[in-house]
Amino acid sequence: MAASVRHLLKPWTPSLCLMRWSRYNPYYLDPDPSKDARVPESELSPEEKELQELKTVSPIKAALSSDTSSAFNDPLISKFINMMMHDGNKILARGIMTQTLETIKRKQVEKYHKSPAAKREEIECNPYTVFHQALENCKPIIGLASVQKGGKSYQVPVPLTDNRRRFLAMKWLITECRDNKHRRTHMYEKLSQELLAAFTNEGNVVKRKHDLHKMAEANRAYAHYRWW
Amino acid sequence: MSGSVVQEKVAKLLSRQNGKPVLRPIKPLALKNEVASRSLKKGEATCVTEMSLVMACWKLNDFNNSVCSKEVSAFYTCVEKAQNKAKGKQGTQGRLLPKEANTLLKRFPNLSSEI
Repeated sequence: MAASVRHLLKPWTPSLCLMRWSRYNPYYLDPDPSKDARVPESELSPEEKELQELKTVSPIKAALSSDTSSAFNDPLISKFINMMMHDGNKILARGIMTQTLETIKRKQVEKYHKSPAAKREEIECNPYTVFHQALENCKPIIGLASVQKGGKSYQVPVPLTDNRRRFLAMKWLITECRDNKHRRTHMYEKLSQELLAAFTNEGNVVKRKHDLHKMAEANRAYAHYRWW
Repeated sequence: MSGSVVQEKVAKLLSRQNGKPVLRPIKPLALKNEVASRSLKKGEATCVTEMSLVMACWKLNDFNNSVCSKEVSAFYTCVEKAQNKAKGKQGTQGRLLPKEANTLLKRFPNLSSEI
């Protein structure tokens, strides 16, 4: 009886909420939320002019609620936050990301102030560039695919698409920070350490990338087993 | 009309008048509204030379990607070209692809029974 009375006292919220459907016809274009990215007509090449004309005519998908037109909207960081998110807790994932960027900035600024004037210009203080460069350093170039031939399956070196490489880099970073840390270190602390290490091509994630490359190099004889 | 000629031939193959029938079909002799999806050409591995160059460079320089940037960028351009080729070269040479044929047949099927 108490449960039914409680149900009447709660404010009414709709049990279904409208989400952007992810299956669209291929001719639908992605929305472009940036306000100030308009280049004047004279500076566009003919292909870009065609693209602009397409945008005025063809239908556009609905924008996600995480797309903003602010200057701080970074698609790479949004993707990383989405990958870190667990059980739909976007607030927590975003908080961890902002704390990570803050820790990176703090560490770099500390390093900047402690170093002599000659070495100061080499230290990168912008956490966004550190993140981008670290991710680039973690991306593998050649991957391995399992191909069955004559009853046996071989690990064949295979070129990877850009999306797959970005996904692998982010996945490796997140799994590394989740598994190999002391139980008392926070996620943002460990992430900032890994990102700074990857920025200088050190650390476990870059080691994992190098291991993958070594495996691919060892199996280069099987490269002709591919048919695509 | 070649349709009736075919029907006569099939009737002759099924008839028991001249000894045993040549055909003893289990399912009705009618075409399906589907084409078997198989690609005629056997593909080959793309960008193997570029990959071997990259790997040779890696072996010399201990997997250092900044030193091997030329070979790596050449590999990327090769991969992009191969992807574009694979996308563009699918539906040409005057023949319908099995997928396209199946979609058309689904929309305009051969009716085998009355609706």
